[in-house]
Amino acid sequence: MNRKPNRIVALLLAGTASLIASSAFAQENQIAGPLKDAPPVRNLRMYREGRFEVAPSASFTLLDEYRRTIFLGARLQYNFKDWLGVGLWGGYGIVSASTDLTEKIDQKSPRGVTTATQISPDTNGGFDKQTGRLQWVAAPQVTFVPFRGKLALFQKLFTDTDLYASLGIAFVGTQERGACGDTTKAGQKSCSDPGSFALASRVAVAPTFGVGFNFYFARFMSFNLEYRALPFSWNRAGFDQRGTGNDGKFPDQKIDGEDRTFKWNQMITLGLGFSLPTKPTIGN
Amino acid sequence: MKQARSWLLLTAFATLGSVAYGKPAAADKKTATDTAAKADDATPKDPPKDAKGDDTTPKDAKDPKKDEPGGDFDVCQITPDLPGCKGGATAPISGPGAGPGAAGAARKDVEAEVYAVQQIYALRRGRFEINPYWSFSLNDQFVSHPAPGIAANYYITNVLAVGVNANIYAGLNGDSDFNFQNRRAARVAVPLNEYQWGANANFTYVPAYGKFAAGFGKFIFHYDAYVVGGVGVLSTRPIPVIDPDNRKFSFNPKLNFNLGLGLRIFFNRWLALNLEVRDYIFQEQLENMAVAASGVKDCKNCATDPKTWNGETSITNNIQAQLGLSVFVPFSWKYKLDK
Repeated sequence: MNRKPNRIVALLLAGTASLIASSAFAQENQIAGPLKDAPPVRNLRMYREGRFEVAPSASFTLLDEYRRTIFLGARLQYNFKDWLGVGLWGGYGIVSASTDLTEKIDQKSPRGVTTATQISPDTNGGFDKQTGRLQWVAAPQVTFVPFRGKLALFQKLFTDTDLYASLGIAFVGTQERGACGDTTKAGQKSCSDPGSFALASRVAVAPTFGVGFNFYFARFMSFNLEYRALPFSWNRAGFDQRGTGNDGKFPDQKIDGEDRTFKWNQMITLGLGFSLPTKPTIGN
Repeated sequence: MKQARSWLLLTAFATLGSVAYGKPAAADKKTATDTAAKADDATPKDPPKDAKGDDTTPKDAKDPKKDEPGGDFDVCQITPDLPGCKGGATAPISGPGAGPGAAGAARKDVEAEVYAVQQIYALRRGRFEINPYWSFSLNDQFVSHPAPGIAANYYITNVLAVGVNANIYAGLNGDSDFNFQNRRAARVAVPLNEYQWGANANFTYVPAYGKFAAGFGKFIFHYDAYVVGGVGVLSTRPIPVIDPDNRKFSFNPKLNFNLGLGLRIFFNRWLALNLEVRDYIFQEQLENMAVAASGVKDCKNCATDPKTWNGETSITNNIQAQLGLSVFVPFSWKYKLDK
């Protein structure tokens, strides 16, 4: 049943790609005469080339199962070219709020033998305390700016814009339920022990990419809207989900690396960029 | 006689040439001031056009004397600030008294086809937009709702359209593995719902448009951003989680309102890539999280009574991202004014 949508998506993407390829050339500059080979834009404001950018930002995670996070952070970037920059994006989770599902589990999940290794007792802070958290992110990255242009809003307000893509490696400070249940390791508690629901810190390494718009409403200031993904595996609920049985898909009374499941962690970022020097280079 | 015929042909050929270039001999004497004044005229005096409507007049034919030594073309009347013009004082471009800057500028070819105001690349007014797309849910971590869909809009003005759209979800809803994991570990079930189809009538408003230089400036892509909103129907039903042996729900249509934002990137004047995020808001009927005990409420086997299957209702946001193509018809149109 799952193959059908995939095939349709693939066909749609292939069709789109072929149309892009065939039609994009139709846009090529066809000017002949004295303007042939002349630059399409004179006195171009090079908003990025040779400038350093500091962009404080707020990021909001999407499609969270147990806990939502709001990161306050910043993007620091130096642009060698108008189309290429290197920098660092990072943030610290200042808000980590439980979802409706977390609250439901906390209220309705029966505490007993069947859930003793899965759900923290109410006396121990409840389920909310065992769910994983994204604490901080730091991602060195390369940014490409293949598109730049302008935007008219209500045919009255005009702003220069660009569309960019970032690619980097993210170091993500996570907190998830610590290892338990492995009796061969000294110091590990049984997973039904209330103390085993305590969170342990870990730094996960993940690829990260982002796609976004910059809107330059002043020569040194821009508004930034970005989608970013950080796909990696982690144990978000603190459940013992895998480790034994067919394909290891049954609980094994242990919490370890096998209980981490893949998650396409994603977020929307809003930022305000300040560029230095404050005046952009003007092209010929 | 033969010689006379040759001369006649030659004369006719020369006359044809001058007609094609649209410049009678007297026009050569026109000053630049006249030309500049006429440039402001919104309806040009019918310069000769080729099949595409482009002005085909060669530059030299337009003003053959401008580069001639001693010609009377005066560039300083158009641009008094030009170096060499000395603060607006008129100076011939060549000959006695001509400034070096002015002369240099005047030697440069004048490009008569650069327009102060460009025409809008893709006019929408009076055109239909057909938009097939693929959509997928952004906010439901329990059940995914991918769907093919199609939208049709008619642009009443260049920025306002009325239209309809429809999505087919049936057979494509995906119950996430995460639901099973959650039920097994926490012994807590979450009510799940699936969708069958949706149809809406919408208004679209296009407040923003712009263009991007892509491929390091080689290609220009035009784009616009729009807001869409409307009202329609979404057919949904609960997925039986609590008592799947007894409960078989049927689809019921619900009134929904929708609001969305979209971006169109034009590949040419009639074809665009379309990205949209739309929120369909409706009152969802959830499954009853408890199984009714038999013998209660005048029913012998209450678990099989459909009246006991429904639980509470909840306002639900079905946020869908859409990726598709927009085809505008008719493919071409005529601008009200020439370039």
